[in-house]
Amino acid sequence: MDGRSSYLTLGEKLCSVLFPLIGICEAVILGFVGCCGDLRRQPDRKFDYSFTDFVTVNEVEALFELFKKVSCSIIDDGLIHKEELQLALLKTPAGKNLFLDRVFDLFDEKRNGVIDFEEFIHAISVFHPGASVEEKINFAFRLYDLRQTGFIEREEVRQMLNAFLLESEVHVSEAILEAIIDKTFEDADADMDGKINKTEWKEFVLKNPALLKNMTLPYLREITTVFPSFIFNTQVDD
Amino acid sequence: MAGYLPFDETDLPTLYKKINAAEFSCPFWFSPEAKALVDKILTPHPKERIRINGIRRDPWFRRNYVPVKHTEEVEVNLDDIRAVFDDIEDQYVAEKSECSDTGPLLMNAFEMITLSQGLNLSALFDRHQDYIKRQTRFLSRRPAKDIISSVEAVAVSLGLKVHTRGYKVRAFLNVPLFSTRLEGMSANKTGHLAVVLEIYEVAPSLFMVDVRKASGETLEYHKFYKSFCAKLEDIIWKPAEGANSNLLRTITC
Repeated sequence: MDGRSSYLTLGEKLCSVLFPLIGICEAVILGFVGCCGDLRRQPDRKFDYSFTDFVTVNEVEALFELFKKVSCSIIDDGLIHKEELQLALLKTPAGKNLFLDRVFDLFDEKRNGVIDFEEFIHAISVFHPGASVEEKINFAFRLYDLRQTGFIEREEVRQMLNAFLLESEVHVSEAILEAIIDKTFEDADADMDGKINKTEWKEFVLKNPALLKNMTLPYLREITTVFPSFIFNTQVDD
Repeated sequence: MAGYLPFDETDLPTLYKKINAAEFSCPFWFSPEAKALVDKILTPHPKERIRINGIRRDPWFRRNYVPVKHTEEVEVNLDDIRAVFDDIEDQYVAEKSECSDTGPLLMNAFEMITLSQGLNLSALFDRHQDYIKRQTRFLSRRPAKDIISSVEAVAVSLGLKVHTRGYKVRAFLNVPLFSTRLEGMSANKTGHLAVVLEIYEVAPSLFMVDVRKASGETLEYHKFYKSFCAKLEDIIWKPAEGANSNLLRTITC
């Protein structure tokens, strides 16, 4: 770090020495305010930096680039609206998708109908290969607990299965649908009370880790190559 | 052929004695030719036992026998290898140490749900945002080997080479029963197209064939998929109209 160029200001040097990650994150967020328009401010909220345990500075910056791209795609206000997320994931802003609704709701922690950068980075950090399995298990449980009752009920499984089949344009008879749901509860519902609680879910997933496949985005490790523009904007080397 | 073992004893010494003495009997429904071949195969002395070539030449064996065709080994295109080989899947298979022996392994709802596009956030990083991504999969009620041979035949007829990765007799959860890679030039001959095809057993005798693009242009892939399905009409299962309306009624968001 010593041999680097001296065009870094004292403030930045301090930041990078004392609070490397925190400083850059704040710079990124404040810089973002000027860049893309109004940002709804919550001045009293403390920004939670726990994701920085496994997400590097360059990855944060690259995620910021991604956030900018998605949040300005339909409504240019620096916030991700449901249609913008839908456009990014399903390549079309139209139509209803149960899973997209769930993903959006889970990202939108503040429940104000939009995803800001803080919410975005919190949620997406769960998908980082470095995040703990425990976090992924919990996130998946909340995703599938459609009505947020603390249990994954039979009716919810049926709804999700139907949504999947509809999405795939694949049709099955009621009888087969029921057989699949029966088998699912046989596997997962240990106390056979007709619903899957958090503990049963955890045990089930630990026995079948492939079920968490969609909870990890290996690309997050290579995100710095997907969004190379950060190379020119970055203020810190890893 | 018989439905039971020729040598079946509760203790090993007795079992070995029977094998060495070739003490077995064929069921009454075996033809004399079949019985003769079995006798030759179950000969205790290795020098007197029939060889593989001998079995191949046996008239009973040759009746209605179609030899297996071996596909040529061709250099695999190493481009986009990360996208094609789902390494994370292999990693999870290695982690699963026991496999419960409770009958045929069928998919449960969550295995299918995790395949859903709406839950696949990797699309956020997709640089090619030109075309609407559509799911490409279908169901079939034909036996697995029929599906495999049809799929391979159609792929070849469309000018693609078939590289079969594996055919698992018992599939683990979320690992397909059968997986293959189809490669070649796209229909408009402008580029390379590679497709991964996997077969999962969803319910007894009901298979889901999941097809996805490994490399190449998305538009060319969708053209390929359309021709592919057109030629596979007789193995694709589409249940009666009644089932669809039930499905639509139960979907609420």
